[in-house]
Amino acid sequence: MASKSKPQKADVCIIGAGASGAAAAKVLCEAGVKVVALEKGPWRTRDSFGGDELANINRYNLWPDPILNPRTWRETENDAARDEMFCPVPQMVGGGTVHWQGWLPRFTADDFRMRTVAGDLPGASLADWPLTYDELEPYYLKVEWAFGVSGEAGANAFESRRSGGYPCPPMPVSRYAQKFRQGCDALGWNSFPTPQAALSRPFNGRRATVVSAFAQQHGDPTGTRSSALNVFVPDAVATGRYDLRPNSYVRELALDRDGRIGAAVYQDEDGDTFEQEADVFILACGAMETARLMLLSRSGRFPNGLANDSDLVGRNVTFHEYSAAVGIYDDPVYAWAGGGYVSASTFQHYNHDASRGFVSGGHIAVAGVGIPLPINWRLPGTPSWGAEAKRIDREHYSHSLAVAMVLHDMPQHSNRVDLDDEVVDAWGLPVARTTLKPHANDLAQGRYLIDRGADILDASGAKSVTKVYADRVTGNCSHQHGTARMGDDPDTSVLDRWCRAHAVPNLYCVDGSPFPTGTGANPTLTIMANAWRVADRIVAERGR
Amino acid sequence: MSDTFFDPHQRSTIEAAMARIIPTDDTPGAREAGCIDFLERTLSGLDYLFAKPDGSGFEVLEGRTAQAWQTRLDIMRAKYVDGVRDLDARAERVGARDFASLDPERQDEVLRAVEGDAHAAPTTSTVSTGLAGPVSAEPALQQTSTETELDFLPLLVTHTRQGFYADPIYGGNRGRVGWDVIGFPGPASMKEVHDGTYTTLRYFAEGEAEKVREFHDGL
Repeated sequence: MASKSKPQKADVCIIGAGASGAAAAKVLCEAGVKVVALEKGPWRTRDSFGGDELANINRYNLWPDPILNPRTWRETENDAARDEMFCPVPQMVGGGTVHWQGWLPRFTADDFRMRTVAGDLPGASLADWPLTYDELEPYYLKVEWAFGVSGEAGANAFESRRSGGYPCPPMPVSRYAQKFRQGCDALGWNSFPTPQAALSRPFNGRRATVVSAFAQQHGDPTGTRSSALNVFVPDAVATGRYDLRPNSYVRELALDRDGRIGAAVYQDEDGDTFEQEADVFILACGAMETARLMLLSRSGRFPNGLANDSDLVGRNVTFHEYSAAVGIYDDPVYAWAGGGYVSASTFQHYNHDASRGFVSGGHIAVAGVGIPLPINWRLPGTPSWGAEAKRIDREHYSHSLAVAMVLHDMPQHSNRVDLDDEVVDAWGLPVARTTLKPHANDLAQGRYLIDRGADILDASGAKSVTKVYADRVTGNCSHQHGTARMGDDPDTSVLDRWCRAHAVPNLYCVDGSPFPTGTGANPTLTIMANAWRVADRIVAERGR
Repeated sequence: MSDTFFDPHQRSTIEAAMARIIPTDDTPGAREAGCIDFLERTLSGLDYLFAKPDGSGFEVLEGRTAQAWQTRLDIMRAKYVDGVRDLDARAERVGARDFASLDPERQDEVLRAVEGDAHAAPTTSTVSTGLAGPVSAEPALQQTSTETELDFLPLLVTHTRQGFYADPIYGGNRGRVGWDVIGFPGPASMKEVHDGTYTTLRYFAEGEAEKVREFHDGL
C-alpha cells in the first residue's frame, strides 16, 4: 500500500464500464464532468479477440468462469439453491456488448405502460414506467447515431414515433434473413431488417463492420462492430476526464454521516483496498450485480442493504428467455454466415392483444444455430453421437436456421436476486442467488411465440420444423432487468423517475435494474438511451 | 511442455470410443481429425488451453484463471481415468480383453449402456440442459456449457465434437477435415479472422456482397 495513495475524489464514480456505464461516462465526460469508473474485469483491446469458438464459448475466454464467479438458482424460497451459471454476462470493459451482435430494436409506447394496457395480472407485479416513450425518444435517436446502428426507419410497422432515421442503411441481407422475410410476406405479416450494432458502411470515421462467421459470442478483433468498448469508451477517454480503472472490484458502497454514499470501497488486482470518494455514484453493473452490490452494502441506516427500506432491491427481476423453432430447408441458408445474427425481425406479435389470452408479446427474429460451428448445438430429439449424429451435422449445417423469440416474462414479487448464504466467489463475497419460477403467462406467451415462429418456417418452405418450447426461465438471454425498479412511490419502487434512489440522494442505477417491466424486446438500446437520459439529468443538476 | 496426458492404453481406449462418437464413413471421422490429440492437449495442463487470437501460439495462464483451470482439469482427468476403467470392466463382462479390442458394434453397445446407466441415475446436473447442446436433452440455443458437471460419456462427446470442429490450432480438426465434412468455409488460419480479411459475405443473399464490395477488403 505504501506506493499507492488514496485516490482523489471524483465528480462522479461509475461502477461498471459496460453498455450503460460507458454510455453515462461518455455523456458526463463530454459535459465536462470528471468521472472515475471502477470496472471489475479487464480492459481488453481488440487484439485480444479472435475467431475461436472453443475459447470464447466453451472455455470462458469472455463468459465469466463459473469456478471464479459462481451463481446459484432455486425455483422458490423453499428449495435448496444449486450452483447454476444463471444469466451470465461478460465482466470486462464493454460488458455484454463485447461479444454480442447487438439487435437494437426500440421498445414501443405501450411498453412504458403495460399495467395500464393489460390491467392486473394475478401473481404478477406489472407496473407502468414512470416515464413515457416520448420522453425517451430523443435519447433513442442520440444512441442510434452516436453508437452506430444500421437499420431501416419505418420498416417496423409496429414501432412508435421516431424523430429521425438510422445513421446507416440496413446490413446486407443474409440468406436466413431472406427466408424469414419471405415467410412473413407469405403470411401477410410485417417484417423488417433487425436494427443492428454494426456499420453497413463507413460512418463517423469508422470502417464498415467486417462480416465474419465468428461474431455472436465472439469479441471483435477488427474493432468495427458497434460496442461500448469500440465507441463509448473511446469517446469518454478522448475527453481526458474518464479515469477508467479495470480490475477494480467494488465490495461495498459506504455511507457518510449524512446518509449519502461517501465512497466506493474496492480492491485492485493486487488485492489492495481503496476508497473512492465522489459527489455522485452510479451503479452500472447489470441488474443482477447491481442488486448484489446494494445488498452487500449494509449499514446501520440500511441493515438489509443499500436503499432497501422497501425490501424491493433484487425483487421483480426479469430475464427474458431465448428459444426457437428450428427449420430445415432443401436449399442452403448458410445461417452461420455473418455469425448467424445479421437478421430480420417481426413485431407482428409484440403488442398486447387481450384476445390471445395472455399479457403482452415478444420480438421474433431469425438466427443461426451454431456459433458458428455445431460444437455447442444439436437439434432436439436427435442423437448426440454415432453415425446418425454425424449425418445430421453434415446435412443440416448449411440448411438449418432458428426463428427465435424474446420472451416478455412477467415481473413477480417472489422472483428475486439476493445473496447466497453459502456460496462465495473467488474474492470471498456471497454470490447472487436467483429465486425464480416462471409465471403461467410466460409459458403461454412462449408457446404462442414459438408457434408463430414455426408458422414463418412453414410459410417460407422449410421441409421440417422443430419447436423448442421454453419450460422454464434459464436466463439464457443475458438480459437482466427490474431488480431496482423505478417509480414515483417510494413504497413500491427503489428508484425515482430519474433512476435516483428514493432513499439515497447521490445514488443512481442506469443498467437494466430500473426497468419495471422487461418488455419483449432486446433491452440494451433502451438501457443505453436511459443511461444517457439520466446522465443528462446529473449534468443539469450539477449546473444548478 | 508436455502435450499429452493418457498412458498408451488409456489413449487407445479413448481414441476407439471417439471413433464411435464421430465414426469414419465415406468422410473422415474423429480418428482422421485427430480428436484424441486434441483431448491429450486439453488434459495435458495449462499450456494449450487458449490459443493466441492471431494463431501465433498459446496464452500463458496466471493467477485465479490458472487456479480455476487446474481445478477444472483435475475434475476432468479423474472422469477420464474412471471412464476408461469402466469401459474396460464392461468389455470384460462380455468376455473381451478390454474395450479397445471389441469390434465397433460391440463398442457401440457398451457406450449405449454407459449412457443408459447415466440416464437411470443422472448425476449430470440439469444446469446443462438447455445449455450444453450436444450432450443434453435440450439444444443449446445460447450460452456456454459447464463441462465439469458432465458425466464421462457426455464429456467425451463434448470433447470429441470440440476436437472435430474447433480450430486446428488445438490439435484436432486435422487438415480442417471437420469443417470440410459439414461444408464450413473456415479461415485459412486464425490470423485471417484476426486481421479482418476473413469474410462470409459471399454466403449472403444473391448480389448482396456486390453491393458493398467497396467497403470490404476481404471480398
